Amino acid sequence: MLSWSSAESDTDADLAAVAAGRDGVGLDNGDALVRFASAAAGDDDAELIASRVALVAETDEAFMIDAAAVAANFEMMTRLADGTGASMPAAAIESQEGIIDTYGVSHLTSRR
Amino acid sequence: MHVRADLAEAHREAWEHLAKPGSWWTGEQRLEVAKTVLDALSDSEPIPPWGSISAVEGRLPASSSVPAFAHDVAYRIARHAGTLTEDWYVKASEELGPLPYVELVGVVTTVAAVSSFYRNTGVEVPEFPAPVSGEPTGDVPEETTDAELNWVPVAAPADQTSAVVQAYSAVPGEFANLWRMSSAQYMPAEEMVDPTWQRREGGLTRPQTELVASRVAQLRECFF
Repeated sequence: MLSWSSAESDTDADLAAVAAGRDGVGLDNGDALVRFASAAAGDDDAELIASRVALVAETDEAFMIDAAAVAANFEMMTRLADGTGASMPAAAIESQEGIIDTYGVSHLTSRR
Repeated sequence: MHVRADLAEAHREAWEHLAKPGSWWTGEQRLEVAKTVLDALSDSEPIPPWGSISAVEGRLPASSSVPAFAHDVAYRIARHAGTLTEDWYVKASEELGPLPYVELVGVVTTVAAVSSFYRNTGVEVPEFPAPVSGEPTGDVPEETTDAELNWVPVAAPADQTSAVVQAYSAVPGEFANLWRMSSAQYMPAEEMVDPTWQRREGGLTRPQTELVASRVAQLRECFF
């Protein structure tokens, strides 16, 4: 969805940077968002606070809240997908092999 | 901190939803499981995927209205969803029943979403409401069927392209709650086909939204 929405909206997201959690993702506020999303999915409360402060400083509180909500949504959706054994049709997987390689997720148990 | 009204309302409704009888579990049972999920998510020394919370003394209520195995299932999904296998699911659904299992997953995902939002924004997770008394409703779709794209049964006819959309369709209360939350947290379902959708001017663009989504999914080791 990132690759598709980025291409369709004439932005240039660097999926490899997102996958590595490093700077240079190529979207406005992208580096602060990657840092915040990474911290949201992690266990380091101090880093979560620091990344939240940095994101608010760069954008505003409402923007951070929207990002926090999206992260929360995918804490929900990932458990839904894995808890119900959701799988993608083979054709969909084939069409996304490049993205799968970039994210390094082809080996995951959750690949069904 | 000012949370937009639709999002605050979705989370308030989600918490109330947890406390009400579902199709298969009472409100009291759902809240017991919800507490185990919160425990799992905040566990500083998580029990490994091959362990079980019911085997650890003092971790579950002394008097529980929920089978210990249901707590084990909830803990595993909450903490180690990326490790689940079909064999594990078959055992869990045989023990709990396929549709009660789906409802249990719904409880886990609701708690995971709301508690994540509060943690992300630096606010204490609110207390659960008091349980609403009453027996499980037994509410089911007219017909359920096996799904090619999911382990769990779904409302008939099964979708051949989108496993996530139909995952809770056999348990109507969880289905409705999921999409109410997703609409407020992510985007309304009807907008998902629009790569330029934005909730408000100055808010997250669609690529920014998907950046957050993909990073969280990657770190959760969720292939989907």
